[in-house]
Amino acid sequence: MILPIRLFYIAVIQVILTSIVIYFFVSSEYRELSHNNLQILESFLINQKKQELKNYTSLASAAIKHIHPEAKPEEKSKQVAIQNLINKLLYNGDDGYFFAYDDQGISIAHPKEPNRVGESWWDLENDEGDKIIQLLISNAKAGGDFLHYQWRKPSNQKILSKMSYSTYLHDWQWMLGTGVYLDDVNQQLAVIQEEIDQHINNTKQIILIISLSSIFIIFLFGLIINLNHKKKADKKINELGQKIINLQEEQHRHVSRELHDGIVQILVSVQYSIEATGIFLTQSKNEKPKPLTEAEKNLKVAIQEIRRISHHLHPRVLDELGLSAAIAGLAKEFSKQTKIEVSLTKPKLSKLLPDDINISLYRVVQESLINIEKHAQATHVTIDLSVKNKWLTLAITDNGIGFNGSKKNKTGAPFASFGIGLRNLTERIEYHCGQLKVCTSQEGTSIIAIIPSHVFSHYYNNNQKHANTYNTDKMSSSTLAK
Amino acid sequence: MTISSQAEQPTSVLLVDDHPMVQDGLTACLSYYQDIEIIGSTQDGKSALTQALALRPDVILMDISMPDMNGIDATEIITEQLPDTKILIFSMHDSLEFVNSAMQAGASGYILKDTGSAEVYLAIKAVASGKIHFSPSIATALLENPLREEQEKLTTREQMVLALIAQGLSSKEVAKKLDISFRTVEAHRRNIKTKLQLESLAELIRYAVNHGLVDS
Repeated sequence: MILPIRLFYIAVIQVILTSIVIYFFVSSEYRELSHNNLQILESFLINQKKQELKNYTSLASAAIKHIHPEAKPEEKSKQVAIQNLINKLLYNGDDGYFFAYDDQGISIAHPKEPNRVGESWWDLENDEGDKIIQLLISNAKAGGDFLHYQWRKPSNQKILSKMSYSTYLHDWQWMLGTGVYLDDVNQQLAVIQEEIDQHINNTKQIILIISLSSIFIIFLFGLIINLNHKKKADKKINELGQKIINLQEEQHRHVSRELHDGIVQILVSVQYSIEATGIFLTQSKNEKPKPLTEAEKNLKVAIQEIRRISHHLHPRVLDELGLSAAIAGLAKEFSKQTKIEVSLTKPKLSKLLPDDINISLYRVVQESLINIEKHAQATHVTIDLSVKNKWLTLAITDNGIGFNGSKKNKTGAPFASFGIGLRNLTERIEYHCGQLKVCTSQEGTSIIAIIPSHVFSHYYNNNQKHANTYNTDKMSSSTLAK
Repeated sequence: MTISSQAEQPTSVLLVDDHPMVQDGLTACLSYYQDIEIIGSTQDGKSALTQALALRPDVILMDISMPDMNGIDATEIITEQLPDTKILIFSMHDSLEFVNSAMQAGASGYILKDTGSAEVYLAIKAVASGKIHFSPSIATALLENPLREEQEKLTTREQMVLALIAQGLSSKEVAKKLDISFRTVEAHRRNIKTKLQLESLAELIRYAVNHGLVDS
């Protein structure tokens, strides 16, 4: 499965857009809902306060009525008694108190500001310019009502919003009132508002985390798929490369065979024909013409050339006698050319390997010997081919200066030039389920190829079956011969 | 080069070569020698044995690269069955590995195809008289690199016998299967044990399995 990178971008953008939309939608819904709730809560709290105030006021007026059933405003002693009563009717700590004014605005009782008592506060205004006492008295006269205004809170001396209820004591012609400060309501509402904000923040974080993790998962998924795909693609490329190499070797082998077993044989037959002609001419006492001798000579050269090309393309000894013999031939040729001594150990069995492994291992030896000749400055090479413990091992060891040594060596070719050859060979050996290892030091270099025997263990047997069919053929023909 | 005329018993020769043109050319050349008679020709290793059994030639001129079975393997099988027939390898391959293998398989000589008919004639006569003969260039190469202990390597036939033994066949069964005598199989078996320096049957089987000669 291939997922192009564009698809990932689309998925990521999709996630981001969805997250944003969800965030705005959820938070606006939440805000609206909480706003409604807050309003309901606020009016509930206010109503509660109002009810409280009404109750307190009616309690207070009932208490006044109970103590002094007959109103005698002009009687000073009674007035003082009521003043005392009012002064003692406190609730909510310092902040709940009653106040009383007569209908002229003269303060009758005020437990928190006793200095007011006896003076007229008819024209008292708060910061907004409302004549508070007048308003309270008119509310009271109208049968009792609530008034919102700003007033100093006794407990902390701050100007805060206050709600008061005033009622009218008809017997005394006094206005009796009390009030609560609304800051605790506001405070409560603010706390709730804060909690709501906190919730919205939490929601935002959750959405953020979810979308980020979604993006991460998408990327992870994509990465895994792409890596997987790349791995598969690499493997395919490698296999394709090996197929091409195999094809090339196969073609070389084919051409080599055509040249060696076809063209060369024809040329050899021509050579014999020319020779026969020569013998014929000599026998019939004629002189052998010079061009015929020339032709014979040139024909020999042509045969040698074609054989050289054929051998260069593909070593025929590999097909006919197997890997051991081919390596032995290679080693002999190398020794002759470079005067570097080669000692070779090889298995006592032959033709165990299929052609493609044969040629790969042959190329390993060939490449190694070329490297040794070019760079290693070795005096001795050991080639060891063996099958042991389910592994075929081919080791080419020299006593040269190693790769690093040759890198420093000014006359030597750059390291990379035989790095590529080795890398190609590594891939070739890996194609046969094997490994190619290179150990190099200043004492020399070993190139070791190993291939598990299960890769080739069926090969000899299959060939054997072929031979067996031959044997039955032969048996019948030999009985015929008798 | 003299054309011999002593025609008491011409040496009978069987040509084994997958290229008829080469056969024709060589036949044309050898037809000038009266003491050589080409009694047959065949084009692959497989039919070489049939022909050899039928014609009983003194010398077989054997090519190496042939379809079905190469000349070296054919040499081994033919010498196994016809010890009196001399086999002269006649090939384009000049590397000593081929010479080694051929000699190990029981060939009596090795000449190169491009050496000329006089050389071929001499080689046939030499081999027929029981001598070993090589082409000059091969003889030179052999002087530089004498045939060493190549003998320790198993021949194709010995390897085949080893594989059959490892598969559990007795010498008798092997003999029947390969259509050779019991004594030949026993001789192969002794050779195998000597070459591999192994004593027991179990060791032989383990060796064969270890080398992938039989499926384990």
